[in-house]
Amino acid sequence: MEQPVIEVNNLVKIYGKRSTAFTALKKINLEIKEGESVAIVGKSGSGKSTLMHLLALLDRPTEGTVTVDGIDSTKLTNRQLNKLRNQSFGFVFQQFFINPQDSVLDNVTLPLKIAGKRRKVRRELAMKALRTVGLTDRAKFKANDLSGGQKQRVCIARAIVNDPKILFADEPTGNLDSTTGDKVIKLLFGLQKKGVTLIIVTHDEDLAMMCDRQIRISDGKIVEDSTTKSRKAKKTTSKTAKAKNMPKSKSTKKQTAKGDK
Amino acid sequence: MKFFDILRTANHNLFRNKVRTALTIIAIFVGSFTIILNVAINAGVNAFIDDQTASLGGEDYLMVMSAGSANTIASSMMGGSDEPTEYDPSQKVSAMNAEEIEKLKSIDGIDGDNIYIAKQIPIEYITSDKTDKKYTINVGAMPPGDFKIGATAGHIPNNKTNEYQIMLEPGYAKALGFESDEDAIGKVVALVMLDPFTNQPMEFEAKVVGVQAQGVVAVNGSLISLALEDAMYEAGTKHYPAEQKELVYTVQTRFDTSKYTEEEIKKVLEENGFYAVGVSDMMGMIRTFFDVIMIVFGIFGGIALLAAAIGIVNTLFMSVEERTREIGLDKALGMSSSRVYAEFATEAIMLGFWGSVVGVLVAVLIGTAVNSAVHAPGGFLEVFPTFDLFKFTVGNILPIVLTVMFIAFLAGTIPAWKAAHKNPIDALRYE
Repeated sequence: MEQPVIEVNNLVKIYGKRSTAFTALKKINLEIKEGESVAIVGKSGSGKSTLMHLLALLDRPTEGTVTVDGIDSTKLTNRQLNKLRNQSFGFVFQQFFINPQDSVLDNVTLPLKIAGKRRKVRRELAMKALRTVGLTDRAKFKANDLSGGQKQRVCIARAIVNDPKILFADEPTGNLDSTTGDKVIKLLFGLQKKGVTLIIVTHDEDLAMMCDRQIRISDGKIVEDSTTKSRKAKKTTSKTAKAKNMPKSKSTKKQTAKGDK
Repeated sequence: MKFFDILRTANHNLFRNKVRTALTIIAIFVGSFTIILNVAINAGVNAFIDDQTASLGGEDYLMVMSAGSANTIASSMMGGSDEPTEYDPSQKVSAMNAEEIEKLKSIDGIDGDNIYIAKQIPIEYITSDKTDKKYTINVGAMPPGDFKIGATAGHIPNNKTNEYQIMLEPGYAKALGFESDEDAIGKVVALVMLDPFTNQPMEFEAKVVGVQAQGVVAVNGSLISLALEDAMYEAGTKHYPAEQKELVYTVQTRFDTSKYTEEEIKKVLEENGFYAVGVSDMMGMIRTFFDVIMIVFGIFGGIALLAAAIGIVNTLFMSVEERTREIGLDKALGMSSSRVYAEFATEAIMLGFWGSVVGVLVAVLIGTAVNSAVHAPGGFLEVFPTFDLFKFTVGNILPIVLTVMFIAFLAGTIPAWKAAHKNPIDALRYE
């Protein structure tokens, strides 16, 4: 069987120590296939953000493993983790996290600068990414002078500039009105069409239903793991993605990785 | 490539909060400015003192007397004591005879071939045909050896010639009716002695070959050639008995500095019944005085730099707080802790660099202006044209700039460490 791009085994995350300890994640098992679009849904405090941080290798689990492309991340050094994040992941945040005083171009080239790419290469790749999000004419603008939707598009351009395998989006439309939000959503699913694995953390049901698969988290556990087809949801924007995923899709609750081992 | 990125990023971040950066740089500037001026004035004064030491005869110069003369001569050289000295028959100026001179020559470490016996020339006055005025003057020949006498014109008299030559003291050229120091060169002046018995004037004509520059310590008055000194001494002592002519009060000589320090050779001479005065006796006080001043100013500069260093810590801490999210983003996107550290440390070093560079520029500007002001007519160093109060060299400026940059780096260590160890998730959540 095809190797999953992310595989999670018995993932536990505990914050604090002893009496103040809080278990945010309780033995999570899941796997995400390449090219899939996955929504992680849950109320605030459910553990969905913690799960995303662990999947994105921004934090280390208390127990269990996160395997990316067959590599057990818990065995990697900080330097290797940094490199993996830098080269394979893209991040889109609800609050954008762009550097307001820098130009749009500087914001987009940041991951390449961190990777130590040459200036000329950085520029070329950044302009390509800006073309994808339709902001080439804003390259020289100060990031602060853009509208919210444009800022999020800059954020997406930054996330894809390193040609990532997996794109993590944390409430990507949370700070946008519905019209601009739709544009951003279109962009994200357009990227999925090009083969990028999409992992979206959201509490927006509509957005979640556009994904191939919804993972519902409550109280640190996966309470539901379903595919869109089984829920008979119909959204025009996810048609292609759905079609691509159809042969494999099965309605499996609490899917675990055991069967793949 | 990465190195330049770090430099560029650090520089960029510095200019984000221009006012804060400028104030921090000013703080560093004050400290480094004080220290640079201090070092420059120290260099200037030391160069001048070395110059003066050389004009006294250099490090290996010794003036030797009989042991009995010690107190009398030493106290007169040091400006005398406040109290009258009680009479002590063993402590009087006593002469050395030929036998003692031979003994001195044979002492190990003393340059026996380089013995100069100073002669007392009882000169009355100096005049020239350009003026009716007569001026008192002290004259003496240059002892053989490596004396460096600053000259405003001409050169020192030649001891190998038979010609009667003179190098005038500062101020004499104009007093004697010449237009300038240069104008006096090659002209003839008259040195007049009186016959001790007949009181008849005896005139010696000498050609002016040079004019001395002002120094802190006067040399032997005006310098004359050996030939002239011999002739004048002969004329002044022609009625003396032969034994008296042979008596010697002071001898100037040199010692082997590779074998003895000045203190050691003095001890050796003391054991042999001599008393010696060296360059350090003459210059030591001045040097000590300046050294103390330099230390005091150095401490001021150091304190200012310490305050500036705390300013750097403060500036960078604020910068780290302000940029918490940015650091979080950088780290989320894969920037290593060491690179975050390097960026902040570089920022600190750049603060140090700019502060000290501004310090150097302003110090050089002010120092150069002061140098020319004090040498201008009416300036307090007008009479010492060779004395640069502030001396700036790459050798004394560069170490200061590097030291300040290093101090800035040390000051930046704690904020940089704090930045480097931020957890990306916490940093991104930070409001």
